[in-house]
Amino acid sequence: MRKVRGLEAREATPWSLVGVVVLILLYGIPLLWLVVTSLKDNRAIFANPGSIIFTPTFHAYAEIAQGGTLGQAALNSAIISIGTTLLTIGIGIPTAYGLDRSRGTFLTVGLGVLVLLQMIPQTATIIPLYRVLGAWRLLGTLPGVILADTALFLPFTVLVLRPFVGGLPRAIEEAASIDGASTWTTFIRIIVPLMSNGIATAASLVFILSWGEFLYAISILTNPATYPISALISQQISAYGTSWSGLMALAVVGSLPILLVFVVAQRRLASGLSLGAVK
Amino acid sequence: MISMSGSPAQRKAGGVGSARKSGRRNVYPIFVLPAAVFLVLLALYPFLNLIWMSLSDVSAVNIVRGGWPFVGFKNFDRLFHLSDFILSFRNTLIFVVIVVFVGMLGGLGAATLLQTKGKFPAVALGLMVFTWAMPPVVLGSLWKFLLLPGGLVNSIIRLMHLYPKGPLWLVQENLVLISVALVNSWAVVPFSALVYRAALVDIPIELLDAASVDGASKYQRFLLVKLPLLMPITLILTVLTVVYAFRSFDFIYVMTYGGPGVASTTLPFLSYRLSFINYKYALGAGVAVFTVLVVFVLAFVYVRATRRTEGM
Repeated sequence: MRKVRGLEAREATPWSLVGVVVLILLYGIPLLWLVVTSLKDNRAIFANPGSIIFTPTFHAYAEIAQGGTLGQAALNSAIISIGTTLLTIGIGIPTAYGLDRSRGTFLTVGLGVLVLLQMIPQTATIIPLYRVLGAWRLLGTLPGVILADTALFLPFTVLVLRPFVGGLPRAIEEAASIDGASTWTTFIRIIVPLMSNGIATAASLVFILSWGEFLYAISILTNPATYPISALISQQISAYGTSWSGLMALAVVGSLPILLVFVVAQRRLASGLSLGAVK
Repeated sequence: MISMSGSPAQRKAGGVGSARKSGRRNVYPIFVLPAAVFLVLLALYPFLNLIWMSLSDVSAVNIVRGGWPFVGFKNFDRLFHLSDFILSFRNTLIFVVIVVFVGMLGGLGAATLLQTKGKFPAVALGLMVFTWAMPPVVLGSLWKFLLLPGGLVNSIIRLMHLYPKGPLWLVQENLVLISVALVNSWAVVPFSALVYRAALVDIPIELLDAASVDGASKYQRFLLVKLPLLMPITLILTVLTVVYAFRSFDFIYVMTYGGPGVASTTLPFLSYRLSFINYKYALGAGVAVFTVLVVFVLAFVYVRATRRTEGM
């Protein structure tokens, strides 16, 4: 049942074509509107937010680029998401390996704990986490956010990585040990390179998730100058009234790295998504 | 967890009859140690702290200092009599039902459509995966804009002469929760579509061919062959979507901030509001603990469902 790849790529019927076009409109138009609005004048938006006829202007982009806030926020986003990705993957790989190879009760309990941890709502953990980070003097710092994000995404990462270890036959370790390699050497030299596909998948997913995370950022970072772009977007709407073109320009800029990951790893994302749990 | 690759049979074969099995087994848990330490400090301890908080008298005065007086279940007793809590719980249930229903049916429909040949399905798939990858704050802000009284959605409604002015999606108290839930469903459809797509791909073509030979129509093949085979994955996906919807926060925060009034406040947002806006930490913790309990019951169902499909 698993081995037969029965992708029934059917010929398109008129009705299925209509359905697919509806999907394209449902997911394409909002994205198109995001870009269109970022190129509009605020007055034009105020007069008619739904209009398609307008003179494009890069005014909003110039506006958000002023004062260096955007550059700083982009840098903060990069530090947080790259730091979180490295730390999460670094801890996640040995964990996935150890869990899978331990088997039995250890594996079952381990997976159960990870699933449970993954399901705790983020709002439930902020306050206690706030106290822990406070005790370590990490409040208001980017490393504090990285630690919090890592704790948030680590269970998910292990759950995504584990099947990639499971796919590797145990004969690999046996052959390596006959050749005199230690468990650790086998892991570093043989297992990790063989997991590269899974690591790339998990890393893309964690990067995407941590790039979009904002709740920990706004709670842990006390100074808005240290906010990542996602936090900036979340605040602009609730606090400073609304410059829609500015907000949409910020959203476009904030989505560019995601576009990059998407272009590089689209297929991985599609398969990784169905492997892992839920966002 | 919804692993479709790495067949268990293959893994078992490697382990059986291995001379070094017993010698190596004890080593493997060490690989888990860094994660265990990390999660105990930054996930488990905070969680226990949260439970402790929900059973104590915690205010802005003693939140940092600690040494909270123990009050037992007093906070929960207060919560269960709080109208905001009851409304939020009701809102959460409505929200979850909409997201699960629309998200899963939409996902199954989209997955079926994406199986057809041609360029358009590939474009649709790409757009959907990209949408999933976008930061939720961006999607939420975008939809807040599209749903403005004179926004794009209402412009289209006016254009089609469906409704004179178009509804006030995020302003009307009887509509706001549904609006946010629908946007959330829109955001979750790509995920369920991909999961269903992977499951559809796994259905052996011989089965479908055999059904055709026996004279089954397209709809019969869908109803009698595909749908039963999709049941296990549907169960897992349902639990995942329920949990996703139950803990959903980002869209509500960005689009409505729980308002107007408490019309779009769900439990996670109520927990956030009580703690960060009203500084009623103990009550906020109580809501969080209550939410986690509900989610854990669902997680239990999930683990059992996965074990059945994975044959662990």
